[in-house]
Amino acid sequence: MFPQILTIARFTIIESLRNRLLLLSFLVIGISFGLVEFIGDLAITEHRITQVAILAAFLRMSAVVITTLFVVSSTVRELHDKTLEMILAMPIRRGNYYLGKLIGYLCLGALVAIIFAALLLLYANPEQVVIWTISLFFELVLVVALSLVMLFTFNQVPSALAAVFIIYGASRIVTSIFLMAKYPIIAHTTIAQQFMDGFIELLTWLLPDLHRFTQTAWLTYNTAEWSVLLPLLGQTVIYLVFLSFIALFDFYRKNF
Amino acid sequence: MPKSVKIFLLLALILQLVWHSFQEPVVAKAKDLAPPLSTRTYVMSSLGEPIAAAKFLNLWLQAFDNQPGASISFHQLNYPRLTQWLDTILELDPEGHYPMLVAARVYGSINDPEKQRIMTDYVFYKFNENPNKYWRWLAHVIITAKHELKDNELALKYAHALAEKATGKNVPYWARDMKIIVLEDMGEVEAAKILVGALIESNEITDPYELNFLTHKIAVLEKKMSQKRQSVEK
Repeated sequence: MFPQILTIARFTIIESLRNRLLLLSFLVIGISFGLVEFIGDLAITEHRITQVAILAAFLRMSAVVITTLFVVSSTVRELHDKTLEMILAMPIRRGNYYLGKLIGYLCLGALVAIIFAALLLLYANPEQVVIWTISLFFELVLVVALSLVMLFTFNQVPSALAAVFIIYGASRIVTSIFLMAKYPIIAHTTIAQQFMDGFIELLTWLLPDLHRFTQTAWLTYNTAEWSVLLPLLGQTVIYLVFLSFIALFDFYRKNF
Repeated sequence: MPKSVKIFLLLALILQLVWHSFQEPVVAKAKDLAPPLSTRTYVMSSLGEPIAAAKFLNLWLQAFDNQPGASISFHQLNYPRLTQWLDTILELDPEGHYPMLVAARVYGSINDPEKQRIMTDYVFYKFNENPNKYWRWLAHVIITAKHELKDNELALKYAHALAEKATGKNVPYWARDMKIIVLEDMGEVEAAKILVGALIESNEITDPYELNFLTHKIAVLEKKMSQKRQSVEK
């Protein structure tokens, strides 16, 4: 069982590296460096903090976009080229195939997080950068699992990408929306409004707490302690299990 | 390739050029500063990155006088609205000091006493919210009140407030004695030099860019003073 999983993971990594994942990551690093140096020259004060804040936000978004694009595009190719059918024709369980793909993509997520964090080391406190990187990796773990779920559900690149970005974005801002709904400037008591408030609250229960992950304040004001990673790890593990079983549920009921 | 493809390609290009020629010419027009949106809107539109949004807004606001194809001076800005923007930025990033620096030393240094007063009032208002955090910006504003607004009473009021309210351990002793700078017959350049020197000594200014900015401001002041002196001598 394990050799099968590891073989699939290994080939997933090899395929992604051949798809120039590293080149793209270094390209993002180059663009970020140019951008952040330009921004640093514009700031009158707090120039290092300004650089770090904008760089961290840009790198975080870039890491999510790159990882999602790679996971979705390479898995969809396997689906369309019938490679998946060929693999499943062998004595291999669907669960093992999923696990192999997941582990492979998680390794790539870790690689992307480390490459991006290397640039941040030039601007921010190394200990804070390490905490930020681990948190970014946790975030990418969820992004990878979410991408696989959406791909198995939609089988199409545009719909899978759109769904991943909508759910990711919603997870990042749902707390803000919830607070806005809970403390409105003008109180509404209509049924429609109550329904919307209830729906938003439901979303806060169902979506992961991504606003707690990879916070820019850790890098700008050195506020992170190692203990912040523990609840993030808990959320990551729980949501990874949840997403994995959604993916497997969909994967097992499909006929190839 | 069929001939029709080439012909239609050429026709489409000509059509685009004709279409463009009928459009109204684009004229550079300076836009007024719009009121800021709610803080939550910026948090959401930055996907939960309030600090990055604050830093970006700092730079955008600072560069607002330089719009594409048009340039407006800080005098033309709507100052009450400007303070709303500074407040929004501070709400997004409560740890930041950028809005206070621009309020005290950029927008507060223009040659328009009415607008300068809006900025000095704003700094004083923020100081009252958190004296131990914002005391050094009030120290800058004391000099502005005395030398640029020529309002000794206002400068003394600020100096008193600084002495009474900024009592934290992080506030150096000299800051509580700003009254001396107000009461002594000291020129603006000397006062500014003393303030910047004291801020450096007490490790309040650590950012080299801020130091450059303030030194440049003092150099500009010195130049102005010597030009004034020369014209009086003539």
